[in-house]
Amino acid sequence: MRRTVLSALALACTAVLASTVPAFADGTAPTPVPASAKPSAEPTKAPAPAESKPPATAPSAEPSTAPTEAPTKAPSDAEVSVVPSGAPDTGEVSTGSQSGGGSGLIGGGAAAAVALGGAAVYVVRRRRATGA
Amino acid sequence: MTLPSRRAFVTAAMATLLVGCGGGGGGESDGAATGRGRGEDSSPPPSPAGKNVRALARSVPVGLRIPAIEVDTPVMRLGLAPDGSVEVPPVEADDRAGWYRHSPTPGQVGPSVILGHVTVGSYGEGVFRDLKRLRRGDRIEARLANGTAAEFTVSGVRTVAQAEFPTEDVYGDVGRPELRLITCGGPRSGDGYRDSVIVFAELSSSGQGGS
Repeated sequence: MRRTVLSALALACTAVLASTVPAFADGTAPTPVPASAKPSAEPTKAPAPAESKPPATAPSAEPSTAPTEAPTKAPSDAEVSVVPSGAPDTGEVSTGSQSGGGSGLIGGGAAAAVALGGAAVYVVRRRRATGA
Repeated sequence: MTLPSRRAFVTAAMATLLVGCGGGGGGESDGAATGRGRGEDSSPPPSPAGKNVRALARSVPVGLRIPAIEVDTPVMRLGLAPDGSVEVPPVEADDRAGWYRHSPTPGQVGPSVILGHVTVGSYGEGVFRDLKRLRRGDRIEARLANGTAAEFTVSGVRTVAQAEFPTEDVYGDVGRPELRLITCGGPRSGDGYRDSVIVFAELSSSGQGGS
């Protein structure tokens, strides 16, 4: 009886580990993905080459997450003549390595494995009890 | 082993498994709260009392070299985006840094602002990928269009939440030649990053470029 319970538990442990290890091995570090067939939405044109000319196009086509307030025109004697609003968006993330769904998969897999193990234990114990 | 004790054993084992599995679900979060002056890699911005180094004449930057993190990049000019934020260099394989053209040129009095990407989407890492590794005392050299170079020394590195970007600390008047290097950092959130990494540096010397 005890051996049966322990065997079922070992089976459940193996199932959990087997489902979680490959998921973690996927890595959490930002791994650059080789350039695939991602449609390039970003204009490659450099921003305004002339210092006196305002930029005609934004270098990044990513919709800015941010600033709702306008840039601040500084006083004429300020060291920075126009103060931009918000933080610059200098981190274009590759769409191929999101990890948000990964944690969900890990949790779901673990829960399923545990439920399976519990069910196995229950069935074995019932059979042993009725057979005894 | 009695029946109740077996049940307790099995329950405890299952609970342990669940806890163990849940521990790694944090994804890319580094687990640290972010804010102004976060401990791990932040240090205070430069103190107002610095060395008296003579300011340079205006000359736009054409290159940037940071030996400590093996950066040697051309520098382009950046202005304002239509939404009022500062422009950033284009996302392309040949990533480079960009100087905000409404800020002083490197070596002039005031905070000269240079930006670069930490990652450039499917192209991989950006030119400022290792910016957060800079430490106080590291050297930064800005090559200028007139053939000279302005050499700066890092006085502080801060990682701050983008929602709390320290505009005044970055763009405010300082009364002496300083440099700001800016990129993104921290964990990714959605299609961007949660934090900004800002390097503060002070002019330490000037000389002929091309070193």
